Amino acid sequence: MSYENPQLPHEVNVGREPVLLEFLQLTAGLAVVVVILSATLYFAGGQLARLIPFAQEQAWVGTRFVPGIDTDDSAQSPEASAIRDALQALSTRLSAQMALPPEMTLQLHYLDDDSPNAFASLGGHIAVTSGLYRRLDSENALAMVLAHEIAHIHARDPISGLGGSASMLVALTLLTGNAAHLSGAFATLVQRGYSRRAETAADSAAILALQKLYGHAGGGAAVFETFARYRNEHLGEAPSLLSTHPLDAERIARLQAAAADWDPQRQPLRPLLPAPAAAAIH
Amino acid sequence: MELSNLELLPGRTVVRHLGLVQGSTVRSKHAGKDLLAGFKNFVGGELKAYTELLNESRQEAIERMVQQAQAAGANAVINIRFSTSNIAAGAAEVMAYGTAVVVE
Amino acid sequence: MELLIQFGFFLALLIVGLVAGSAAERRHFRRLQQDEAALREILVFNERHLPQDRSFVHGTLVSGSVVIGEDYFKRIAASLKSIFGGRLTAYESLMDRGRREAIVRMKRQAQAQGATMVFNVRFETSSLSESVAGRQASFSAEFIAYGTAVIPAPA
Repeated sequence: MSYENPQLPHEVNVGREPVLLEFLQLTAGLAVVVVILSATLYFAGGQLARLIPFAQEQAWVGTRFVPGIDTDDSAQSPEASAIRDALQALSTRLSAQMALPPEMTLQLHYLDDDSPNAFASLGGHIAVTSGLYRRLDSENALAMVLAHEIAHIHARDPISGLGGSASMLVALTLLTGNAAHLSGAFATLVQRGYSRRAETAADSAAILALQKLYGHAGGGAAVFETFARYRNEHLGEAPSLLSTHPLDAERIARLQAAAADWDPQRQPLRPLLPAPAAAAIH
Repeated sequence: MELSNLELLPGRTVVRHLGLVQGSTVRSKHAGKDLLAGFKNFVGGELKAYTELLNESRQEAIERMVQQAQAAGANAVINIRFSTSNIAAGAAEVMAYGTAVVVE
Repeated sequence: MELLIQFGFFLALLIVGLVAGSAAERRHFRRLQQDEAALREILVFNERHLPQDRSFVHGTLVSGSVVIGEDYFKRIAASLKSIFGGRLTAYESLMDRGRREAIVRMKRQAQAQGATMVFNVRFETSSLSESVAGRQASFSAEFIAYGTAVIPAPA
């Protein structure tokens, strides 16, 4: 009987696949899965949220101004109040052209903010900043802005966006157990804007409303020229990494095409009233 | 390759003892099965996914042990022992070891 | 921005884990090979019966143990792999290192006693993973090999 210990092949106990390569492949695979899953979830949550009646949405939101801008409209200067009233009146005329259902009532806000911006929020709230108002040169341009935001509300984009991000947050919380640290970062990503398709649809609806109201879509392109100019001036200040707004140039071209048959001589643009000079809030 | 967890193979004589051989593997099931097993844990009972996981692992551990034994020139492994240890949630290491021998 | 910093931190840890971890692993495997070659004359078996045709003066318990921890890359690679399921190669090499190191240390003890063979060798592995708030933070395990070393009677 012999006793010995021959040399053993130890490597049999370690799988031969290259760990780093496998890691990179799995990372890529996981990224694809995550993107597909979150897009599906976002879409499903958004569609589900659209089923909530507008009256219900408005009742939840009430007078709370969702994006967290704490503005008490009643405390504004007379000039600002006048502009707010003008915004409200113009949006009423536009919503009549856009066949907005009667229960979709709008609440206009005029915000003291130097950067040009306008947005639609939950519960039919629409806000225009003084920075934008000051830079507009005609009522037609303002109508383009308002009609675009009204179109978002008509399409239920704000609640759909909320539903989409909420469903992703719920999924994230379920998956990780505690998504408190993730959810903050995530919410800021999601709040960046609506999908490109929603923006393009809102543009189309706005062009249609302008044509119905004024007989032409002239002056609308000025809005996006304003944004483009501002972005050029402030380049690098706020890189809009994940901005989903269609490129300014694309939108300008689209509006110019829509206003191709517009004759500025026969159909002059309407002046912006009250005049932007008086547009300071306090 | 003959395997036994006795210290001999009945009816055979061991002529050469070639020492300790071992095989081990670490495996896990995919996240979907982990999730289902987690739900199953609420009501109890057999967690089929994990039964399967450990069976597959044990099979592979034996195969690897046999590879070592073959390389050593053995035709049997006696006194085989298994050991399982928990690595992470849903992942386990299974090892098999024994003494490689030549029997007649 | 905060997210970017967090991600950068994560990436840095991952690269440090990958570079330092795989260098340490390669070194360990090289050293294991040398040690195993140096201890070739100590024979190990897991049988309980001693050879009938030899005589021994003494038998004594010997053991070797080692605790090995994962690196950050292994941890991420393994948790990524467990999403898809299958073999966790990153941990397999860790377990192999631990077990071979335990045998080497046991053999070294046996050699110090003047033994030439170790019988009835058994392995034990225990996970020392620390958990933080219910989530496993990092994995390390103790590997122990033990058996009875026998000292042959002088010829």
